[in-house]
Amino acid sequence: MARVEVESEVAGSVWKLVAKPGATLAAGDPILILESMKMEIPVETPVAGRLLELCVTEEDPVEEGQVVAILES
Amino acid sequence: MSWQDEADEIRRRRQHALAQGGPAGIGRQHEQGRLTVRERVERLLDTGSFREFGRATATPEYGPDGDLQGYSPANYVLGMGRVDGRRVVVGGEDFTLKGGSPNAAGLRKSVYAEHLAVQHRLPLIRLLEGGGGSVRGSGRPGGTVGEPVHTEPRFRIIAEALGQIPVVSAALGAVAGFPAGRLVASHFSVMVRERSQVMAGGPALVERALGRPVTKEELGGHAVHIRSGVVDNLAEDEDDALLQMRRFLSYLPASVWELPPRLSCDDPVDRCEDALLEAVPRNRRQPFDMRRIMKLVVDSDSFFELSRGYGRDQIAALARLAGQPVMLLGNDCKFYAGAMSAAGAQKVRRYIELADTFHLPVVNFVDEPGFMIGPKAEAEGTIRYGMAAVSAAATATVPWASVQVHKTFGVAGAAHYGPDAYLLLWPSAESGALPVEGGVAVAYRKELAAAEDPEALRGQLETELRAGRSPFPRAESFSAHEIIDPRETRPFLCEWVEWIQTRLATLPGPVRFSFRP
Repeated sequence: MARVEVESEVAGSVWKLVAKPGATLAAGDPILILESMKMEIPVETPVAGRLLELCVTEEDPVEEGQVVAILES
Repeated sequence: MSWQDEADEIRRRRQHALAQGGPAGIGRQHEQGRLTVRERVERLLDTGSFREFGRATATPEYGPDGDLQGYSPANYVLGMGRVDGRRVVVGGEDFTLKGGSPNAAGLRKSVYAEHLAVQHRLPLIRLLEGGGGSVRGSGRPGGTVGEPVHTEPRFRIIAEALGQIPVVSAALGAVAGFPAGRLVASHFSVMVRERSQVMAGGPALVERALGRPVTKEELGGHAVHIRSGVVDNLAEDEDDALLQMRRFLSYLPASVWELPPRLSCDDPVDRCEDALLEAVPRNRRQPFDMRRIMKLVVDSDSFFELSRGYGRDQIAALARLAGQPVMLLGNDCKFYAGAMSAAGAQKVRRYIELADTFHLPVVNFVDEPGFMIGPKAEAEGTIRYGMAAVSAAATATVPWASVQVHKTFGVAGAAHYGPDAYLLLWPSAESGALPVEGGVAVAYRKELAAAEDPEALRGQLETELRAGRSPFPRAESFSAHEIIDPRETRPFLCEWVEWIQTRLATLPGPVRFSFRP
């Protein structure tokens, strides 16, 4: 079991949370969707695992490289 | 009297060269999970094709009677060989000897590598590992200091090589100083995950200069330099690095005096992919996968991406269309809508110059919303680097085709269209001075401020303006060669590849403005 921090690759704001803590996700599944440059940009799981924590809520501003979720892989 | 004694001595010295730094040096290299330079050369080249230069080059130690007492081979291996049947020059530091830092004999051979490749008009492959110069042995009283004034600058041939022959380099261990400079002075560079670090100066220098302890990996590991753009591609292991260099060279001619090698193509030129019809969502807020579009259009399995971790708003790749090597460029709308950043602009400029230098036609899949805006983009000097990209496109000498997949806005849009570009519009194409949303906010500021319902007016204006940006009026006005069903993209581009052959044949030779690091 390893804790994996999921970072946002772009700056923007949280438009919609997609996955709930406790959910089992496959690599590439969306965790949340950011609004950045007027586009809906999904933040996807880099590896398969269980979603432990969402570190942001809807409408939160997000910086490039910010940890937005924590997975257990 | 024959020369048998000398012949035996020659054989003995060749065996010395093959022994490298001895079992201890070779063992240390293997323990650290790395190959020796001779193993690398063997894996890189076609079997049995290596012709080494200077096997007897060494630092000898003679006794008072002139008898040979010690013998250290040059710590740089250099020669010619073949990659996929095509001749190349290859050289690399021998890290089993003196940590790769050049000994006198090794330095002579390493400096000669560029001369050899340029002289024979052959690609140069550098297998880099080691540091640069050392203060050890310098500054002793009584000796000569510095190079004679009449010495040709050592770096001139490195710079000139970039305008004449393909140069590809791999960092296969820690690389610092001069070898790091050589790595970057390449058309393609690759480093190995967790095995390579690239630094202008290593941790000891950094701590002495800045008082800050730092590891090699923190300073110049892949996490730093795949993002910084110092190194183009990441390899999972040494074999992967060698494979990527071979693959890069497969798209390029042996020198600027030749054309890129066109292969026979099994992939049907009239292949139409249904998936392209729905590749761009009608909802303008939803991103799409431009790499997938590119891969569906080009010859199967021919897509080879470059610098993916750097300037991520832009995509650069080598590929083939009807067997013809091409430089693919495009935007990735998943990264800041594909807006051209300072890094993205430098990436575009560099790969246009690569295409120009080696006569690779450019095929551009355009979805450019404009230069990146905002305080960070301004602080990075985006518009300066952006105009360098625009200038590179505006003066390109190679045939150019642009497929307008979605957006083309602003000055940045011009970086995606070379002179006399063959211009194809998808039905999803839109273009103008500014994207509608931002453009309405600027051009109708007073009207919006005075309106009873500003949002309703904004929506109405945006809808009206967007209708005018449909690609059909542009097609009616012959502002593009054709508006096409996205599924027709491959057949149209493959047909274009046939038309450009006569023009390509006129291009070999150096370009007026060639590649720089």
